[in-house]
Amino acid sequence: MTRYIFRRLLQGIPLLLIISIILFALMMNMGDPVATMGGRRPPRAADYERLRRQLGLDKPIYTQYLYWLIGNDWARIDLDGDGVAETPGTRRGVLRGDFGTSIVNRGQPVLEIISERLPNTLLLMVAAEVCIILGALLVGVYSALRQYSILDHFLTTLLFIGYSMPIFFIALLSMYLFAVLFKRWGLPYLPTVGMFDPQIGKTPGQVALHMVLPVLSISLISFAAYSRYIRSTMLEVLSQDYIRTAKSKGLSRQTVVFIHALKNASLPIVTIIGLDLPLLLGGAVVTERIFAWPGMGRLFLDHVGRGDLPVVMGILMMIAVAVIVFQIITDVVYAWLDPRIRYEA
Amino acid sequence: MRNSKMLFRILVAVVALSLVLAACGPGPSTTPEAPGDATEVLTDEAPAGRSVATFIYTQEFDTLSPLYTDMWFAWTTWQLFLNWAWEYDENNEAFPVLVTEIPSIDNGGISADGMTITMQLRDDLTWSDGEPLTSDDFVFTWEMAVSPTNAVTSSYPYSEIDSVEAPDPQTVVVNFSYPFAPWLATLWHGILPAHVLRPIYEAEGTIDNADWLRNPTVGYGPYVFDEWESGSYVRFVRNENYWGEPANIDEIFIRFVPDDASQVAALQAGDADLGTFPAYSDVPTLQNAGLEIVIQPNGYNEGLFLLVSAERGHPALLDVNVRLAIAMGIDRESINRDLLLGLTRAPASFWDAMPYYNDPPVDLYPYDPEGARQLLDAAGWIDTNDDGVRDKDGVELEIDYGTNIREIRQDVQAVIQQQLAEIGIAVNLFSSDDDIFFASYGEGGPAAIGDYDLMEWSDGPLFPDPDVYYWLCDEIPTDEYPAGSNWFFLCDEELDGLIQLQASQVNPEERQQTISQINQLFHDQVYWIGLWQDPDVWIVSPRLVNVSFSGVTPLFSIAEWEMVEP
Repeated sequence: MTRYIFRRLLQGIPLLLIISIILFALMMNMGDPVATMGGRRPPRAADYERLRRQLGLDKPIYTQYLYWLIGNDWARIDLDGDGVAETPGTRRGVLRGDFGTSIVNRGQPVLEIISERLPNTLLLMVAAEVCIILGALLVGVYSALRQYSILDHFLTTLLFIGYSMPIFFIALLSMYLFAVLFKRWGLPYLPTVGMFDPQIGKTPGQVALHMVLPVLSISLISFAAYSRYIRSTMLEVLSQDYIRTAKSKGLSRQTVVFIHALKNASLPIVTIIGLDLPLLLGGAVVTERIFAWPGMGRLFLDHVGRGDLPVVMGILMMIAVAVIVFQIITDVVYAWLDPRIRYEA
Repeated sequence: MRNSKMLFRILVAVVALSLVLAACGPGPSTTPEAPGDATEVLTDEAPAGRSVATFIYTQEFDTLSPLYTDMWFAWTTWQLFLNWAWEYDENNEAFPVLVTEIPSIDNGGISADGMTITMQLRDDLTWSDGEPLTSDDFVFTWEMAVSPTNAVTSSYPYSEIDSVEAPDPQTVVVNFSYPFAPWLATLWHGILPAHVLRPIYEAEGTIDNADWLRNPTVGYGPYVFDEWESGSYVRFVRNENYWGEPANIDEIFIRFVPDDASQVAALQAGDADLGTFPAYSDVPTLQNAGLEIVIQPNGYNEGLFLLVSAERGHPALLDVNVRLAIAMGIDRESINRDLLLGLTRAPASFWDAMPYYNDPPVDLYPYDPEGARQLLDAAGWIDTNDDGVRDKDGVELEIDYGTNIREIRQDVQAVIQQQLAEIGIAVNLFSSDDDIFFASYGEGGPAAIGDYDLMEWSDGPLFPDPDVYYWLCDEIPTDEYPAGSNWFFLCDEELDGLIQLQASQVNPEERQQTISQINQLFHDQVYWIGLWQDPDVWIVSPRLVNVSFSGVTPLFSIAEWEMVEP
């Protein structure tokens, strides 16, 4: 197993290199970061040329990629535009842990920017994922045990209504209903945007209260897919011979369902969760925007719109690494849960 | 089963840990936290009884430092903690703030040749850390703006200065290399603290990476910066060392809410006291919720820039009568009335918000489709092949019209396309994000390389200064000069001469005469067609009183604002 993990990690290195080249080339054609620096009017020509030179954007794409990858502290650059490269570079490159500094938030290291947002996104997305998994387990198992019952039909209909609605609609609708109208009607109401009320301060209680609507919005969207998946795998498992054997042995219904059926039905679900987990790092772009939640999704959106290549590359590479690592973890967990599975090195 | 329990416990632990982490915060608190003082960090409760005004900004500023940003939201925020040397009131009139009086030829502040400006600073100016604010800080600000190692957003107007001298702590002498007319509108938009940044500059050779750029804890305005949590909020608290009248409100809390509909909901729910730039269609909803809408002219006008180039543009636009026909074929009053709910009006002039320079005022092009058809007929553009589009010498009168992404712009594009179709002009519509639309000639930006015959965005003179420079002949972009800003590829020598002349006229009366000539030339030649005045739009909660805004320094009176229970 150790050799297998090691081999998979080694395979990930050239994969990441290829991903970084493709993403870098795509980002270079996403727009001009200096074009939006003039505020409400285009920047002056002299400033435009100077900024492109100072930010290294006047270099050919392969040079920019090389500097991004291995740094430029071995080279000299022309900062003052006199045609003489006399200033030593300071970037150390991604391979030495330096993801550079943001073009938009001038001078701020990319890793610092990402680390400011990551806890907020993890908080929101992990809470949503927990709600989704627990809720989907309850509904999925119930629907499998009571197939074609009235409640099964009702839940299925309800979930598909939620699934078919765009998230921005659910988010805005819930905000308007539970925050604006409930307050107007004199009912207990929820906050609209942000992470806390400035009059009260950023307490855990305030953060939890401000999480309710965004978590609800994200959960409603993913709930249907997960619960339907659990329902179908449970139905498949419940028709197996060993379940009939367990029942005929006189085991309690609870033991049959939760020990024998659910454990085996959970194997494919683990795969789905494993594949979903790295995407949690990217945040929920729409939900974070609507609820003004300062997470990774908004960070990505804000910076990609202004062509901030270092920050966008940092986020994308972090997700790429997470996808590779979580795939390996999923494979390992899969083998752990199912003794029949063995990986050969 | 044991595995499921373990998984559940891990997930619960992760959520709980994240909750605590998020609550105790990545917030870049500027006050060093005592190690081990967990109770203080975890509670992070605000002191009771404070007055807190919550503002909503729909964009987060990139940095808070002067020189390093041209974002409107950053400029607006400077009035909280970094006053300008002089600011502007609700009538957009300048008044002295850091100086004892605004320099003029009459008071000797401007030399006879217009190349030297002498300013006298107040003698009670202090930074929030107690250090005096002196002329040395002004000199340092200029030095940082022109230093080749600092990647400032714009070195203008400091790049036009030969030297800045500080003969004594309260006197600043600015020497230009030529008579520099736009000094009043462009100089000293925030001063850098030399005592904080100079040691960094001397050690690193640049202030690009200085923490103060993002956490400007030392300021000199009515408020002082407290903390900025990326993507979430910025907090300012009252500056107890302020040299002026202390601010009434204890704290200004600026929350970043990028979504328009969320801003409206937050204001309706009472979760914010001040909002910015709502969609015009949301204004009635906000007014019905008891919120006040304040519209403040700011010099910007939404308008159509015309590509007048034999090499790159449509040949029809070389004819002034065709350009006039386009202007007369667009019903701008109905656009303002129906799409902008009558909250704006069509500007006749590029200087519409500056009556002093729009004098004598030029007339609004009338909406006259019949007159437009006659002009096109007379110009030889007639529909000879009955396809509904006029043509001449085998060339169809089909023009490309591009703009950047903004909902109202897409709506207006569709209306103009329909209106011009009625006079026989076919219009192809294009739109793209800002970073693509405004990309330079060198980067292949569609507007800059002449892809569009009509280009729409909001712009104006260097308000409150009347200066314009886009139309200068030497600003036409080329392969050798790819950063040129004359994306209209128009070289009108008379216009060029007048623009250069006004830029060096420090005598206001003489300059007014020149700008009036430019204004008339613009109008007669139809180089630009105004669509609507694009003012600042503020949403004010009834909890905020004594509120006024300027179109130049919007929060100029922030210290006088008060909060009441509605």
